[in-house]
Amino acid sequence: MYKNLSEKYIAEKYEDFHGQDAAIIEIKKFLAEFPKRRGIILHGPAGTGKTSLALAAAKENNLEILELNASDLRNRLKLEQIVKPATEQKSLFKAGKIILMDEVDGVTGTDIGGIPELVRLVTMTNYPLVMTCNDVWQSKLSPLRAKCKIIEMKALSTLSILEILKKISGKEGINKNISFLSQISLKSQGDVRAAINDLQSYAYDHNIIVDVSEKRDVEENIFNILRKLFKERAPFFDLFDNTKLSLDEVFLWIEENIPREYKNEALANAYYALGKADVFRGRIYRDQSWRFLIYQNIFQSAGIAYAKKTPTQGFTKYENPKRILKIWLHNQKIEKKKTISKKYAKLVHCSLKRVMRDFDLIRPILKKPLVQEQMRLSDEEVDFLNK
Amino acid sequence: MSQTDIWTEKYRPSKFEEVVGQHEIIKRIKSLVQALNIPHFLFAGPAGTGKSTLALIVVKELFGPSWKENYLELNASDERGIDVVRQKVKDFARTKAIKNVPFKVIFLDEADALTKEAQQALRRTMENYSNTCRFILSCNYSSRIIDPIQSRCVSFRFKILEKKDIAEIIKRVSEKENLKVSQDAYDSVYESSEGDCRKAINLLQATASIAMDINSEMIEIIASSTKPTGIKVILDYALAGDFINARDKLLDVMLKESIAGTEVIKAVQKEIWNLQIEPELKVRLTEKTGETEFRMTEGSDEFVQLQALLASFVLAGQGKAT
Repeated sequence: MYKNLSEKYIAEKYEDFHGQDAAIIEIKKFLAEFPKRRGIILHGPAGTGKTSLALAAAKENNLEILELNASDLRNRLKLEQIVKPATEQKSLFKAGKIILMDEVDGVTGTDIGGIPELVRLVTMTNYPLVMTCNDVWQSKLSPLRAKCKIIEMKALSTLSILEILKKISGKEGINKNISFLSQISLKSQGDVRAAINDLQSYAYDHNIIVDVSEKRDVEENIFNILRKLFKERAPFFDLFDNTKLSLDEVFLWIEENIPREYKNEALANAYYALGKADVFRGRIYRDQSWRFLIYQNIFQSAGIAYAKKTPTQGFTKYENPKRILKIWLHNQKIEKKKTISKKYAKLVHCSLKRVMRDFDLIRPILKKPLVQEQMRLSDEEVDFLNK
Repeated sequence: MSQTDIWTEKYRPSKFEEVVGQHEIIKRIKSLVQALNIPHFLFAGPAGTGKSTLALIVVKELFGPSWKENYLELNASDERGIDVVRQKVKDFARTKAIKNVPFKVIFLDEADALTKEAQQALRRTMENYSNTCRFILSCNYSSRIIDPIQSRCVSFRFKILEKKDIAEIIKRVSEKENLKVSQDAYDSVYESSEGDCRKAINLLQATASIAMDINSEMIEIIASSTKPTGIKVILDYALAGDFINARDKLLDVMLKESIAGTEVIKAVQKEIWNLQIEPELKVRLTEKTGETEFRMTEGSDEFVQLQALLASFVLAGQGKAT
């Protein structure tokens, strides 16, 4: 049987999740404290693992799961007939159960009385009621919000997605070229499912040209945007609309290429503007004040374009943002250093941080066979030290 | 104690009498330990001055051979969340001591790395389990420990080791290891160690892995080869107008030494006054640096902000302010 990779590698346990530690802690807490709160809403963009997390929670706790999603009719009558008994009856085979109402923002006009009935169920259910949705802040959900614990599932970082893709392609024995995988991760914009689907669609197509052309497509797009920004001072409010890249990714491209376009005062002015854009971005992330997005947008566009009195003429060779890839490669490299340092830190009553900082000084000591034996270093760790 | 070839462990004192320096502190702690009852301790002082060592000696003196079962050591800078206090500390504290000892001891190293919330949780734990458990907290700065915890502890301020203390340690180690250490090498080890005993011994052992006959030149080569690339190099690139190189080096250093942007900014702030530029520009750059640090604490992207700062240095290199 062939399975979609995105289904085959669906996260089944807490440990399978990447970059959702906060959400996992929260749902654990919710289940442990039940019935302090009886309902919980997992919300976030598509492909961040909302449904998987609910299923994983059931599996981890050996609970049965009763699932209703948008494909089922969910009006008042239906909820009353099916879900209500379930909230009252015991599970047949397992210790308990979780009731999963998937995609509650899909409870629509045709599901008459659906939301009020859900609210009623939340107040009286004997079993945890888990709901998922993309946008928890729409007004029709407000009565439900008041009764439920709310957990945000964030879009995954490019790095987390890259990790996942690497793992899968390793297991499936498909193209593991890092730059190829990181292109897919960038393109996915935090949607794991989309990323895995993309991986699959390229993996079985032995004609690798598909991948390259797609990649070039994205790049041309961003190159055009950069040129319009730096050279033409194009109208700004829709400048970043015509790309599949997110505003944050465009940010990385601008960050990388400012010094290729500007020197001296213009350089300082441009980074001043980018720094301001970043400050507003920070406020948006911290307080969810989306109002500030317009300021980020203006500093990130007009602020950069007008850093110089007259735009630079001629051709500028723009380059791929390197920072994220560099960090990722570095993390791979220091993995061994970290495991060694951990063992050493425990032995000498010292913090891992400090050992990592003094690693070069300690290295000759770690090379002694007797020390390596005492620390029970693995062969790979010994190899790392001898490199 | 099993044999070890790590000198910082091999020569770690296991009795009060063997400790170098900190005489006053040892006198007081010793008398408390001899009464077989100790209060909670707070050890404050720089790294490598004997805080962990003394904690170990205290439990060994109190509990004898069964010290290991009754002692938990945690490093707060590695596990700094409130969960550590809630779980590890509580689990250990709530069970009774094993064998004939009246209580257990938890040593919480670098406790000033704990968040305020974690410290609040710790304070309750210290109270609730004081029948079964004593705490020894260590920190670099006692000002970062919340007052309620300070008031529950007897505090000791560890002083940085003096030159003669470090010399005494070098002498002990080199005699046991058959090293020949020249007089000026003693000075070099002290200079590089900055009074940090762990650093001094590590430096000595790293050098000894090359030769048994040690002079100051060798010490200095080892010390400088392991010194992190200075921030100065990066600033020099920026001042010379080479922004791209400055930026690449900065990212390399931050990754390689695993230092955070907030640490970089502190180093930059110090380094400004050593630069060959007009004093007026130094003031302007300091202002920029302050603004950058402020933005970092507000949750902006550290590396973006540092790039903006580097761009100001490029201008300063041409005698211009932003």
